[in-house]
Amino acid sequence: MKKYFIGASLILFGFLIAFPMFSMTYYTMVRTSTPDFCALCHEIKPAVLAWRSSTHVNNPQGFVADCMDCHLPAPHKTFDFFFAKTYHGAKDLVKHFFLKEYDRKKNREAAYNAFDNAQCQKCHRNLLAMPDKRGAMLAHRSVLYARAGYEKKCVDCHYDLVHNESLSIMYKQYRRLPYQAKGLRKL
Amino acid sequence: MRQKFIFIAVGLLAVGLVLSGTIGPVDAQPNFAKVKEYRIERSIPPEAVACIECHKATNPGLFDDWARSRHANANITCLDCHLAQPGDSDVAKGHEKYYGRKDLPYGEQKYKVPIAAIVTPKDCSRCHPDEVTQYSKSKHANTIEIMWKLDPWLNKGMNSDNERKTGCFNCHGTVIEIDANGTVDPTTWPNTGVGRLNVDGSKGSCTSCHTRHRFSVAEARMPEACDQCHLGPDHPQIEIFEESKHGTMYHAYKDEYNFSAAAGTWTPGTDYRAPTCAACHMSGSGKVMGTHDVTERLSWETQAPLTVRPQDFKPLPSGTDWKVEREKMKNICRACHGDSWINDFYNGFDKAVEEYNEVYFKPAKAKLGELYEKGLLDKTKFFDERLEVEFYELWHHEGRRARMGVMMMAPDYAWWHGFYECKLRFANYMEEANHLIETGQKAYIAKDFPNATGDTQKPPKIFDKK
Repeated sequence: MKKYFIGASLILFGFLIAFPMFSMTYYTMVRTSTPDFCALCHEIKPAVLAWRSSTHVNNPQGFVADCMDCHLPAPHKTFDFFFAKTYHGAKDLVKHFFLKEYDRKKNREAAYNAFDNAQCQKCHRNLLAMPDKRGAMLAHRSVLYARAGYEKKCVDCHYDLVHNESLSIMYKQYRRLPYQAKGLRKL
Repeated sequence: MRQKFIFIAVGLLAVGLVLSGTIGPVDAQPNFAKVKEYRIERSIPPEAVACIECHKATNPGLFDDWARSRHANANITCLDCHLAQPGDSDVAKGHEKYYGRKDLPYGEQKYKVPIAAIVTPKDCSRCHPDEVTQYSKSKHANTIEIMWKLDPWLNKGMNSDNERKTGCFNCHGTVIEIDANGTVDPTTWPNTGVGRLNVDGSKGSCTSCHTRHRFSVAEARMPEACDQCHLGPDHPQIEIFEESKHGTMYHAYKDEYNFSAAAGTWTPGTDYRAPTCAACHMSGSGKVMGTHDVTERLSWETQAPLTVRPQDFKPLPSGTDWKVEREKMKNICRACHGDSWINDFYNGFDKAVEEYNEVYFKPAKAKLGELYEKGLLDKTKFFDERLEVEFYELWHHEGRRARMGVMMMAPDYAWWHGFYECKLRFANYMEEANHLIETGQKAYIAKDFPNATGDTQKPPKIFDKK
């Protein structure tokens, strides 16, 4: 009887410690996952401002893709997500205090290299059925079913999408001409 | 009386017949071919409808070409390739005024879009990324860089800028510039050179081989697509092909060839009897995958002064392994030839390369070095002393003809236009060189070498990046 009591109180004790810890972690994760939080650093602020005027915020679906949606592994890859977020948070903090200048061009390139197609494909999933865009269908097929040695990233062709300095807000629904990818970035 | 009446009646009838036979058709059939109709029944942005309707009237040839293309089949319109972003440096400034012309169909402001006249491989890569990736690492796409790293005509300024524009750069490509007015610099355009450097930084021009506005795969599979550049005394590939069995069979049977087979399905034996240039150098066959990198399957650089392996070609190392690539090429041969045939052919080719390198090129090069060293030849310019021209023609003309003639099995080019000429050239060159060395007499320097006025600066857009 006494043995069970000790066991039960240990479990209860474990819950008492674990629950606040989990909830605090979760709370922290939620609070540090918003674009507003990212914009707290002056280095990132221009990127957030540009994002706000982009079609990833302003579209007829009312859909908003947050920083995390594109720049971190999908949350269902829980371990990758937590690890990447913590790593970036720590790294950014160190760099914020010790790095003299934030090289926007270099970091843009680093971001392109870090992108994984799965991050875009969380939302952009129906990539082959575009009857009015035969060229896109052709190109997407060469990404989804890539020939060996010709694997490509979404961002190889779709770049300068979000973080462009713009004087006006871009609304996807008011685009006069159909969107076109810009072609291979590294040519 | 009655006779007179019949006479008048017959006369009227005759006049009537003549008139009905002329006036009517003259009205209905003006002295122009009827413009091909194109009914816009598919979903196309109104701006693209404007392009089509206006250019159909102003450039019917261009429109008709497009209307027959695979692009038109797939509803790919002008805009898909020519649309620019507002503010791009290559936006056609002059084009915008047409949107204000009431006399043109669709000449209205509401259809105005930024248009770039020059379509680049980067534009093509939006739909054909793998093809462009392969092409952009080929010697084709990088030919301006190769040319400036090797060529004495350019580096020593031995020809004029216009001789270059109309000659060299027509095939090799220009460095496209936007002039002070914001329009394309007319000294760099029009140009569809295979290595053209475009404003967006991409290299080459897909329309070198897939001509505008049909962009036909069939066309690029024909030797006629290649012979616009690959001909003449310095690299007569087309003449070599014509003399070879491959060329003979192509001419005899090309009517039976299925040139328009879908990409990746063009099959030796089924769609063509003997290969064309593209069949061996680009198209897929058996287990070998097709490629837009014409350099890929090479195992010798037969156009280089000293024949080297493609990975050792200093101006643009291929990054390939020649053994792997030769195996690929042998697999192409295997569609129609047995192993002993292929291997014995390659033995002959390797032997010819070795003889050219060791017997002709290396001793000639060494002799040239000796003449420079002894001060008998002057290094300031090239081509202004006869021995320099002789040396140049030894490798650049007959030396290439010999090697390429052997490689593509044209006996006349291997021997009479090739090694035979090499032999005579070499003997004369050596005789003159030895004479100078023995007598210590300096070579005559041409005082009146004509039109050596060209710019000697390497194009900074290509060379400053490195």
